[in-house]
Amino acid sequence: MKSFILVAILLSVSTLMGADKTSTVDIAVIEQTNAELAKVKAEVAQIKQENQRVAEELAVAKAQKEEEIASKIASDIAEEEVLEKNKTIHISVVGQGVAPMNTSSPAQAYALAKRAAIADAYRAIAEKVKGVRIDGQDTIKNMMVQRSTVRTYVQAMVRNADIVETTFKEGLCEVEMEILISHSDFVQ
Amino acid sequence: MRSRDGNLNFSLRLCSIILFNSLALCADEYLISYKYIVKDATLYNETLLVSKAMTKCQGKPQEEFILQNSAQGDLKELLSKNPEEFIEYIHKLGLHVNHDEKTINMQNSFTTIMTLKTTCFKVDFNDNFAIIAPLK
Repeated sequence: MKSFILVAILLSVSTLMGADKTSTVDIAVIEQTNAELAKVKAEVAQIKQENQRVAEELAVAKAQKEEEIASKIASDIAEEEVLEKNKTIHISVVGQGVAPMNTSSPAQAYALAKRAAIADAYRAIAEKVKGVRIDGQDTIKNMMVQRSTVRTYVQAMVRNADIVETTFKEGLCEVEMEILISHSDFVQ
Repeated sequence: MRSRDGNLNFSLRLCSIILFNSLALCADEYLISYKYIVKDATLYNETLLVSKAMTKCQGKPQEEFILQNSAQGDLKELLSKNPEEFIEYIHKLGLHVNHDEKTINMQNSFTTIMTLKTTCFKVDFNDNFAIIAPLK
């Protein structure tokens, strides 16, 4: 019985001693981890500061760029011709057309190519004066472009355009055309 | 004393004179339309339609165009003899431009349609000249 009690006391004492050792080891690890955490936190704070600085620099650069773009647009608008009362705008374009393959004579080829070139010149004038409508559509499948489509439309009424010069060389006819646009042309 | 048949003849004559005069008044008015299609920079189709106006047109004559009268009052014949000049004149009057361009997978194609809507033209045939003017 005595020996049993002795063994129990010894066991409890050894257990207590072991627990103390374990707890001392855990505290050291925790302290080390805490130190590392503090270091990491400091690093993160530093990185955050750097990021903030970079973001501020970026914002400043962006603002400068926007300012530059705005001033450029303003200068472009100032340079752009505006149709004012009692003033005219002169527009000059070149239209191109080709003769069909099955023409009966060079004269017919010239006449047909010239007509096509005139239509092209009218289109160019309409584009300059009235603008172009543009539609775009891209189809992408499995991260690859399957079909890319761009459609442009021009609709206008053009009158009083003058042909300045016509050249016909190697099946290509070029028509230089000009038009004078005045404010009264647009008054309803 | 007039008979009933005599009165009928008189009214028929009167009607025919009125009809003839009205036709004669409209005889110098023509409806003209013009259209051509350009596909990929090549002329595809060109149409010039000329027909006599069946009813009197409204409006006043605008910019005149003078051609030498070598067709004795036939506008179609006159225009067939001077097509380039007349088409140039039509261009001056103004054409509707309808352009449609497509670029599919970097391949471009386009169609341009030029149109003169049906317009009434007054045509005066003199001994030497024909004066053509659109009514607006």
